[in-house]
Amino acid sequence: MMIMIRSIIRPEKADAVLAALMDAGFPAVTKYSVAGRGKQRGIKIGDVTYDEIPKVMLMSVVNAADKDFVIQTIMDTARTKGKGAFGDGKIFVSEVEESYTISSGVKETAAAAEGVPA
Amino acid sequence: MKEVIAVVRINMMNQTKQALTDCGVDAFFAHEAQGRGKGFVNTHILEGAEQGYVEAAALLGEKGKLYPKRLLTAVVEDSMVDCVVETIINVNQTGKPGDGKVFIVPLADAVRVRTGETGEKSIV
Repeated sequence: MMIMIRSIIRPEKADAVLAALMDAGFPAVTKYSVAGRGKQRGIKIGDVTYDEIPKVMLMSVVNAADKDFVIQTIMDTARTKGKGAFGDGKIFVSEVEESYTISSGVKETAAAAEGVPA
Repeated sequence: MKEVIAVVRINMMNQTKQALTDCGVDAFFAHEAQGRGKGFVNTHILEGAEQGYVEAAALLGEKGKLYPKRLLTAVVEDSMVDCVVETIINVNQTGKPGDGKVFIVPLADAVRVRTGETGEKSIV
């Protein structure tokens, strides 16, 4: 079983998280920019409410066995130093039923992703 | 119903769009994205470019370079999944690293905003 981890993080933390994932041995990731707000309903500065705050979405697909480790890596890196702050982001986890590599046309299995021939 | 998420090369978008239409998937959305895979891509191919090489290389960053990609998301019926995956692979396959990935994620429900229809009806 493979797991898709989509994390919404601060844009300024994106490079650090990407480097941490690389060091942790999970190089494969897709990044795109998004805008959104959370439970705090955006940021209110004076009379102006900013409710479309720029964020970065990172998507990576990993083995179910590595799920907790990857989530912990992203969380530790993306959290504002100390105990964290509003706006640090969210991590969403969903199941992936099937996964294919286009260049080889091969259907990935959990065993193949671990480097064991399927 | 299933959500088919594909990461493909940006210069393959036109062919992919045409092929998806031909196989009966008219509705999808695309997103500009950057990504990296297992890291087997040869960056020296960029050096052949005459213009914009420096800017392109700078955008890629130092560690674990990210390459510009397109993220396609299509919501299709269960019976269409095999056809869609086959189409995307056939069109995008060059055999070199960096062709992209296709993921299939189960989806609980969908709603068409215009009519309020739910389930299979909302995506047909």
